[in-house]
Amino acid sequence: MSTLTTPILADLSTGAGKEPDNTFEDLRERAPLVLGGRDFTAVTDAVTNIPLGKTPRAWYVAFAMSVSLLGVFGAMIGYLVTTGVGVWGNNQPCSWGFGIVNFVFWVGIGHAGTLISAILFLFRQNWRTGINRFAEAMTIFAVVCAGTFPGIHVGRPWLAYFLFPIPNQMDMWPQFRSPLLWDVFAVGTYATVSTLFWYVGMVPDIATIRDRSTKRLPQIVYGILSLGWTGSSRHWHRFEKAYLLLAALATPLVLSVHSVVSFDFATAQVPGWHTTIFPPYFVAGAVFGGFAMVLTLAVPAREWFGLKDIITMRHIENMCKVLLATGLIVGYSYCTEFFTAWYSGSANEMFVFKNRVFGPYSWAFCTMFFCNVIAPQFFWVKKFRTNIWIIMAVAMCANVGMWFERFVIIVTSLTRDFMPSAWGAFHPTMVDLATLAGSFGLFFTLFLLFCRFLPMVAMAEVRTVMPAAHALGDHADDDEDAEAAHDRRRFDYQPDEARGKKRKKRVD
Amino acid sequence: MNDHLVQQQPAAIQNAASAEAQRLVDSAVGHHVTGPEYWRSIEHYSQSSEVQKLIDEEFAGYDPKSLLTTSRRRFMQFMGASFALAGLTLTGCRRWPRETLAPFSGAPKDRTPGVPESFATVFEMGGVGVGVLAEAFDGRPIKIEGNPEHADSLGAAGAFEQASILELYDPDRSKVVIDQTSGKAAVSTREQFVDTLVANIKAGNIAVLSESLGGPTADALRAQAVAAGVKWYEYEPVSRDNESAGLALALGKRYRPVLNLEAADVAVFLDCDPLMRHPARLRYARQWSARRRTADAEGVMSRVYVAETTYTNTGAVADVRIPVRPARIAALAHAIGKALGSKAAIDMALADEAEKNFVAQVVADLQSAQGKAVVAAGLQQPPEVHALVASINEQLKAPGSTLSYLPVSEHEAGRPTHLESIKSLAADIKSGAVKSLIIIGGNPAFDAPADLDLAKAIASVPYSARLGLYYDETSKVCKWHAPRAHYLEAWGDSRGWDGSISLAQPIIEPLYNGWSAIELMALLGGASGVSGYDLVRKTAQSYIDKLQFERVWKRSLHDGVVAKSARDAQQVRVGPMKLTQPAAAPAEFDITFLSDASMYDGRHANSGWLQELPDPITKMTWDNPALISKSDADRAGIKTGDIINIKVAGRSLDIAAYIAPGQAKGAVTLLLGYGRTASGHIGTDTGFNTYSLRTAAGMDATTGTISVTGRDYLLAMTQDHFLLDEIGFDAREQRAGSKGHSGRIVREGTLAEYAEHLKSPDGKTTKPGFVSGEEEEDRSLALQLFDQRVYEARHAWGMTIDMNACIGCMACVVACQAENNIPVVGKEQVNKNREMHWLRIDRYYKSAPGRGDNVGPNDPNPQIVFMPLMCVHCENAPCEQVCPVAATMHDSEGLNTMVYNRCIGTRYCSNNCPYKVRRFNYLDWQSKDPRGFAKPWLGIPDDQQEQSISKIKQMVFNPDVTVRMRGVMEKCTYCVQRIHNVKIRKRNLTPGGIEQIIDGDIVTACQQTCPTNAIIFGDLKDTSAEVVRGQQSPRAYPVLEDLNTRPRTLHLAKLRNAPVTAAASHEA
Repeated sequence: MSTLTTPILADLSTGAGKEPDNTFEDLRERAPLVLGGRDFTAVTDAVTNIPLGKTPRAWYVAFAMSVSLLGVFGAMIGYLVTTGVGVWGNNQPCSWGFGIVNFVFWVGIGHAGTLISAILFLFRQNWRTGINRFAEAMTIFAVVCAGTFPGIHVGRPWLAYFLFPIPNQMDMWPQFRSPLLWDVFAVGTYATVSTLFWYVGMVPDIATIRDRSTKRLPQIVYGILSLGWTGSSRHWHRFEKAYLLLAALATPLVLSVHSVVSFDFATAQVPGWHTTIFPPYFVAGAVFGGFAMVLTLAVPAREWFGLKDIITMRHIENMCKVLLATGLIVGYSYCTEFFTAWYSGSANEMFVFKNRVFGPYSWAFCTMFFCNVIAPQFFWVKKFRTNIWIIMAVAMCANVGMWFERFVIIVTSLTRDFMPSAWGAFHPTMVDLATLAGSFGLFFTLFLLFCRFLPMVAMAEVRTVMPAAHALGDHADDDEDAEAAHDRRRFDYQPDEARGKKRKKRVD
Repeated sequence: MNDHLVQQQPAAIQNAASAEAQRLVDSAVGHHVTGPEYWRSIEHYSQSSEVQKLIDEEFAGYDPKSLLTTSRRRFMQFMGASFALAGLTLTGCRRWPRETLAPFSGAPKDRTPGVPESFATVFEMGGVGVGVLAEAFDGRPIKIEGNPEHADSLGAAGAFEQASILELYDPDRSKVVIDQTSGKAAVSTREQFVDTLVANIKAGNIAVLSESLGGPTADALRAQAVAAGVKWYEYEPVSRDNESAGLALALGKRYRPVLNLEAADVAVFLDCDPLMRHPARLRYARQWSARRRTADAEGVMSRVYVAETTYTNTGAVADVRIPVRPARIAALAHAIGKALGSKAAIDMALADEAEKNFVAQVVADLQSAQGKAVVAAGLQQPPEVHALVASINEQLKAPGSTLSYLPVSEHEAGRPTHLESIKSLAADIKSGAVKSLIIIGGNPAFDAPADLDLAKAIASVPYSARLGLYYDETSKVCKWHAPRAHYLEAWGDSRGWDGSISLAQPIIEPLYNGWSAIELMALLGGASGVSGYDLVRKTAQSYIDKLQFERVWKRSLHDGVVAKSARDAQQVRVGPMKLTQPAAAPAEFDITFLSDASMYDGRHANSGWLQELPDPITKMTWDNPALISKSDADRAGIKTGDIINIKVAGRSLDIAAYIAPGQAKGAVTLLLGYGRTASGHIGTDTGFNTYSLRTAAGMDATTGTISVTGRDYLLAMTQDHFLLDEIGFDAREQRAGSKGHSGRIVREGTLAEYAEHLKSPDGKTTKPGFVSGEEEEDRSLALQLFDQRVYEARHAWGMTIDMNACIGCMACVVACQAENNIPVVGKEQVNKNREMHWLRIDRYYKSAPGRGDNVGPNDPNPQIVFMPLMCVHCENAPCEQVCPVAATMHDSEGLNTMVYNRCIGTRYCSNNCPYKVRRFNYLDWQSKDPRGFAKPWLGIPDDQQEQSISKIKQMVFNPDVTVRMRGVMEKCTYCVQRIHNVKIRKRNLTPGGIEQIIDGDIVTACQQTCPTNAIIFGDLKDTSAEVVRGQQSPRAYPVLEDLNTRPRTLHLAKLRNAPVTAAASHEA
């Protein structure tokens, strides 16, 4: 993939052709978070050269594909709005189908981003800096995709604004007892806070791009976007305060959004929905699905954009561990649901779960169970956690499995609820499938635009976790020569030493 | 000429006028002065003489000069005269016949715009009229109700009557006279039709083939025509000729038997469906239900035995039912007759234990209920069975109490049977005796016996004219076709099953300028241009006393029935007769034909409401698969939806199969009326044409073979078919109950335990299955999440649905559809579970547990429960809690209301509705073609319907009910519009403005039409209301009460009255 990267980066990142291993756990020292012997400049170069450099041809190919899918999405929505929800496979009794499945799926995807950028930030997990920007962008784009579905799945989309508490001549408020309304607020808040958090965190990096750009247009655009950032210590001071506050604000949202989304089901009395385990189960599932999606995006992106030194195997491996942990929670939740159904003594509940496993949709249940519970078990073994093919396979499984989880919850519960006379089946139409595919078009289009034009890695943050930052910061008043200290810190990590020496030291 | 005008005008106007006149004259003659020049073609531009001539003659016969030379005085004379003529006739340019409806030049008496009026009229099918009331809204009929004054209606209307309103506004109805003498269809005029007809009548050799027309006017005109030498043939594909022939055999001449099921303690029906397939079905259903309802007060009710081939509605509500092949019915009848001492009965061996048990029980019960018992046989049974049944009834002393024999009309007494008639017509055409054939109604080219090949025969007649509602299969082969007036558009009369005369009056001017049958028949007698009104009035003079004619005429028109016109029962004795030994059941399959519950004989094929009306038993829409038993299907490897090939005497038909529980082994039942090839947009090519196997030799039952073709076919049912997977089946069994046991949703008990319970309701005695202590506790859950709502309003609406009375006839479903503007969605949408009926009748099969392999789907004789279900208006409505925009909410009187304007269509309410009674407009149903795809609709969202729905279709809408657009949820409203109409009317009547509503003032559409009074609506705050009594019944229970939804509608548990021995033997 070297053709995709700038020459300097190619030189820096590929090295001897084999990736350096920073996945070890050595109690004596911390594993480095940036590899390839990069210093501040090299990191900055690596990140800023993507928006400022030439567009790789593969990007065009990928973008063309995504935009085509986005076009399909638009066409399907157009068809839906002009013809009616009947173009989907929804019916009575199964009046929610792909629309809500996709909504919950995309909302779930978003969670990993916020978890990485906010919660891990508060918990001082420095390794997050390499992937947080990236993950957060994914969050926002996933929320954009998610937000489309409730809007278009309603029967009269042009009146969807009734959902918002807008003062009106009818003196009508929305109905605050409805979990769908809570959804509106939860997802709305989530989208707002996430976007703010993402954008605020990006301001210093945009300023860096602005400063490095040589052409007029980027200078103007990035100039406007950077909000007049000069890098003064006052700016930094305020930036960090704001960032911390937003992180604190975003943290509860990670838990709240999917809890509220799960209330759509949990507060309804449909057997299979009406259960108190849903909020934690949904949050765990969301984090699970979200990390799977981060992996799905990160693994190819670090290859193609030459960011292997910044998004290192250690990041990938850490995410695999999260995937394993949350996968276990999800598996536990599945089992608990069965236990609860049995323990409740409610015939309807028992039937629904029996029906899930052995009924007409058992294939969907089996897919879900395999993908979400069985597949992550590979990650008990480090060898599998560091093999990108296996990682990608498991992450793909988790993506599919999480989509099917929502499908199973919605479709199996609705098609056979209380009245046997009203039982039915759900068959998706071509429009359903095309809309689902199209939503990926929207997601990847936005993501590719982000990769191409915005700083994909939080440079400013990555620099703070590099040894050099501390070398200068901690020992500024030491007798030791700053540069020597830098070198010491930098090369105390043996495996990387050889290659680090190759490059001339540069200090920003 | 100009001067003449100019002289009388002021100078300024003179100049302007003359300039204008000059310009007009110039341009007319081509002298253009200035400005651009316009021309139409090169010929025009070149001003050739031909073109000039054409231009000059553009308005042939009109000479502008003559107008200009007219003096003012002359002009005023002309205008005055023409206005006077127009005004005198009150018609303007069109010549409206004076006796028909006139437009409102002055407000008619007692009419308030916007307040609907009801007119009595009569709906005739198969020659028997059922009195109905047509509700007209500002002169436009929108709803059919039963006529309480009419003996065959008693205020109820069936699905056919209800759906006839849609037929009136069917855009596919024939609109013009069609002349096909040249071989191609060409539009012609009424005058030409009449001219040709009269010419042919004069030529003689006229034959008329008509459907059964039972009115006195038709009788008189027919007699007149026959006297004038017209040969008359009458044909109905579904007739009760077997019955009258059987009675003629037993009693000496034809009679009409009239049952009195209210007096019957024991009723035995042999392949007979009096509650659904009988002209007097509404009356019978009412009587039957009255005798079932005595269970609550007296602890007794009737016991119904049914032996039949296919599950019918009567079979479904029977206490004891056995499935037998059609040929076995005669054997059963003979066995019963023999045991009861009938002289005509022959000793017959019974085939198996089930038959023996059945006969033993029937005989025991009949013997103990002498004088209070009745036996009846179905129209498919041969005359000999009917004769035997007559002798059994005499043994039971039924005539006079549970049965009466009424004389038939002169025509009815003398005519050949329909089968003989159509056969002789075919023979006469073949022999060339028929030169001119006039076909009135019916559809013989489609439904005549297949071996007569009548379509070809008709086409070979030199002159043939057809009067029909539709340009159908028969019209296609005739030389002329004329549109027939719908019964709501024409004057007429008819006789009920008991012979009582009803008058039909037009509610609306004929939409498509059609003739009624009697108007055409008048032409045959030589009278031309006689109106239906005159004909009916003239006939009426023969049965109404001349001295009081006007008074009685008006009274009869108002009531819809001529008082005291019913025939009196006659005392008759069964004479000696010798019956032949019935043939043994053949080795091949019995193929039987049954009229369809919604198509009847095929005449209703173009009614979307009826096409989409689920079959009462199979819940099939838009199709008529062959019904086959599970064991036969298993043996032949047939699954529901497979296409099978049926061969009958060299004729073959590929038809989808449906495994029908309760179907007799060895018999395949074919439903008539589908497979139309020229019925209109809705009815063409739905289902299979089973007439193609119906020959003159086997009109009711025949034999044939079946084979598997390997192809399959899509069947659209509104309820999941029988063969669920095992888990689903178990769960359903648990909820719907199994034979003899109540389920969680469907509850039932036996009469015996209920009667015990009524004697000591404290529960010390046996408790019926449906009354259990547990549920009583559930009903008063101490812990409530939401506060109990206090209803301060004057009313609290509620409903009861008596599952013990419901016969599953589907009339309520069509009534609801008509009342509430419910759309038709089409087969492929029904297949997607998107049917829109607000009210559905759930049909549950119940099979006996613990019978080895014969359980569940393998049970050869499962029981059926009908459970009508619509929105139950929960107090704790789960739908209301989840709607994010407050589009569904509770009103002060306890209705769970649906605000369409507010609904954005999240469908969350439907998910959360445990009864799944909400319906969603997934597409723009009202303008969507039910036989095609939904079109993208790009109009303005909120007013598109006005443009997108055909103007004719719009006329059927009830203006009191919103026509829902796509994207909104809808459901039963307890007919809120009816509640408010009555409230407003009552409020206006009382000075204080407080409405005094008494029980029965407000009836919902379903309740109004229900022939068995199974649905009762009323005010729960009115302690004397019937609904309150119903809700206090020990049988009352809220469906899914464990969910604490607290429905306002309670269902009353079903009771079965099988003899104890039967239940025991069944379990064993």
